[in-house]
Amino acid sequence: MPALFFPRRYPPLLRVAAFVLLSIVIAALSEKHPNMLNWSGNLTYPIHWLDLQATESWRTVGEYLQDRRSLLAENAQLREKLKALEPKLLENEILHNENRQLLALLDSFPQPPGKMAVAQVIAENFSPGSQLITVNLGSRNGVQVGQPVLAAGGVAGQVIHVADLSAQIALISDLDSSIPAQLAGTNLPLLVNGKGNIHWLSVPFQPRNTTLKAGDQLVTSGLGGRFPSGLHIGTISRVIHNGDEPFAQISVRPAVPLGQLTTVLILLNNNTTSRPSKP
Amino acid sequence: MNALALVIAFSLAMALETLPSGPVYGMIHPDFVALLLLYWSIRSGSELSYTVVWLIGLLQDMAMGDVPGGQAVADVLMIYALVNGLVRVRHLSVWEQLVFIFMLLFAHRLIVWSWQLWSGPVSWHFSLLLSPLMGALLWPLFTYLLDYLRHHLKSTP
Repeated sequence: MPALFFPRRYPPLLRVAAFVLLSIVIAALSEKHPNMLNWSGNLTYPIHWLDLQATESWRTVGEYLQDRRSLLAENAQLREKLKALEPKLLENEILHNENRQLLALLDSFPQPPGKMAVAQVIAENFSPGSQLITVNLGSRNGVQVGQPVLAAGGVAGQVIHVADLSAQIALISDLDSSIPAQLAGTNLPLLVNGKGNIHWLSVPFQPRNTTLKAGDQLVTSGLGGRFPSGLHIGTISRVIHNGDEPFAQISVRPAVPLGQLTTVLILLNNNTTSRPSKP
Repeated sequence: MNALALVIAFSLAMALETLPSGPVYGMIHPDFVALLLLYWSIRSGSELSYTVVWLIGLLQDMAMGDVPGGQAVADVLMIYALVNGLVRVRHLSVWEQLVFIFMLLFAHRLIVWSWQLWSGPVSWHFSLLLSPLMGALLWPLFTYLLDYLRHHLKSTP
């Protein structure tokens, strides 16, 4: 193999040291200019394309192997569920109409959610330091850095890098993630931070005598304009009032099963371009 | 070794690294790219270029969305350590090789983990041990499979 950058006449240790220094420079530059490596998504797209093909083939094989009897049983179960949900749907519709009429009376009709796009997860990186997924939509589909990402149940994350055909999303469990939130039904402002674990989030800076308790629902507050307000983030599962600590330790279970995402919804009407930052 | 075969092998290894298969797979799967680099280095002797190793690591960083440079540095240092102990590795028994491979993979993992501290505090997690352990346990199967493929490809007209 030819030595492209550092000829072999230099001692190996010197070459290794040069590569370490070069890597430090690149890491420092990428931290200062987060959008510097957006183009790298195009370079690595073939790898993610392989992932997509493997996932789809696996799903096709699974569907093919599922026998007729289990499909019929599943169908019957779904019919039962639908029957049970029909009255609730009707009730929802009535409430929805009533809500529209009341909001129209108040002259504060909410803005429509805007354009959305359904994206398929094509790669994952779950490690204590990163909680990232890659999806099959990019700048060609209108995806931009900073756009909120939802999944069945509530908020899933935020777009942090965009290439032409793919985008990288930091999940709400990522260490760099921080979302302005509030207790459902109140205006109590809170922050929900990622902890590097898909099962737990945290609420920082709450005094030891906080009124928050296990079972409380947290939703987005809409502060900062990045996430629409009222989206479900998670449920408080544990509040520890430790006498030695200045703040209460609050754990939150995410509303979305972050480890099982196959498709997500990207809100395309968000035009902000900066990377999410920790307060 | 055939350049095309290497490109295909590394692409597949990177695809396995980022395969969307849930957090359990994410925690326990071995670092396939590091395993392939070790295999390639052992089989090709001292012919391996640090530039190529570094570029492969950088590409893996990009594919995984990590702070760039972590995998690249870990790969270069791992291969440097291997090349310096290469003469001895070849004469080791399979079990001794497993211990050596585990130590290299664990050191590799620690370097990548330390690099992630760049973007913020990263807590220690037991999964940092699981992946190198899986890599070391799979090493005999991995080398057998790749040796078989190499010989098969060579004998194919």
